[in-house]
Amino acid sequence: MKVSFVLNGRNISYEIAPGEYLADTLRANHILSVKKACDEAACGACTVLLDGRPILSCSFLSARVEGRSVTTVEAVQDEVSEISDFFSDEGADQCGFCNTGLALTILALRNELKNPTDEEIKHFVVGNLCRCTGYQAQFKAIKRYLEAHK
Amino acid sequence: MEANRYLRPATLEEAHQLLLQDAKNILLGGGLWLKKSTSSANALIDLSALGLDQIKNTGDHIEVGAMVSLRDFEMSPLVKNIQGGILVSAVSQIMGVAFRNGATVGGSVAGKFPFSDLITPLLALDTTLIFYPKKELGLADFLNQKGRSSDILTHVVIKKSTGRAFFKKVKTTALDFAVINVAISRLNNEYRIAIGSRPSVAALAVKAMDTVNGMKALSDEQIAQAATLASEELLYASTNAASAEYRKALVRAYIKRGLEEVSK
Repeated sequence: MKVSFVLNGRNISYEIAPGEYLADTLRANHILSVKKACDEAACGACTVLLDGRPILSCSFLSARVEGRSVTTVEAVQDEVSEISDFFSDEGADQCGFCNTGLALTILALRNELKNPTDEEIKHFVVGNLCRCTGYQAQFKAIKRYLEAHK
Repeated sequence: MEANRYLRPATLEEAHQLLLQDAKNILLGGGLWLKKSTSSANALIDLSALGLDQIKNTGDHIEVGAMVSLRDFEMSPLVKNIQGGILVSAVSQIMGVAFRNGATVGGSVAGKFPFSDLITPLLALDTTLIFYPKKELGLADFLNQKGRSSDILTHVVIKKSTGRAFFKKVKTTALDFAVINVAISRLNNEYRIAIGSRPSVAALAVKAMDTVNGMKALSDEQIAQAATLASEELLYASTNAASAEYRKALVRAYIKRGLEEVSK
């Protein structure tokens, strides 16, 4: 079957299997910023934006994005580069595998919540696991990034 | 997952006919637990074109479409106003925001997931389920039904109420399934106590409720008795996450704390 949607601002159409998941479709079409880690909706590494809101592409059926808009890191490189600078300043990076999913979640957080509290920030990003940093440095980096955009 | 077809019916009647055609045709909610629950299907039936993604204020109740995402449910002012926000407190603890943007209210309820953090507080409230073809069932009756149903859950109807409520999810890590979850609601002097993830699907602790219902004020002894009954009248089992005895001990502790809180 075919699925047609807007991917990073471009209208595209892919041939997919009926039970195929979005992360597999995207990676098969060279969108390699989308990571597969747990592959069971638990870690957030596969996060992409669907109509501007974060979803877990490893467990979201590809057919369900028909007619909708999907955004991956490839389309928001300037914004993600800026987030990356804040992460570097705080030592919030190590292996980097979770970064692309987390960066998209942070962009969604910035769009969705105005002046979030510390608890709201933590609550919004809790689904993006990182096995390297221990989260404190990430939290400081996210907070500084959001403050810079007030 | 393996599937032969993906279908997006335009009407409920069409969806129902497709469901009846083959026992291996399955309805999709958000589909996020498909990997865990189903290895193959003949047809996947997507309900997202049926206008079931709205939360409506119907006066004494709110009517939640089956395809409303858990995130939209959690952010709804209508939902926040019910019993001190017990549903928001519960749903906001389900995985992360990205998960809740994909998962649906209908899928969470119709799946009768034993670990559900939504079913337990809904059971502690006055919740009715609407199915196609025309049928209404109380949530407790639905949970007690056995076997595959050919009805389609279209709406979850929750009575508006402003009494006190308590919800507790015991979990090992932030994103974990509940070791146990407990919900208590109080409206006037009527209490409803629901316990889930025992590890079976949530159920009402009826004997415990009978102990406290109708009381204007609860004594320490009544609260302790209700907590003990709740830990004894339902089935608890051991899993890798927790032993049955530990689950019972948690229930005794949290029913006690919950009743102390809501009976103030």
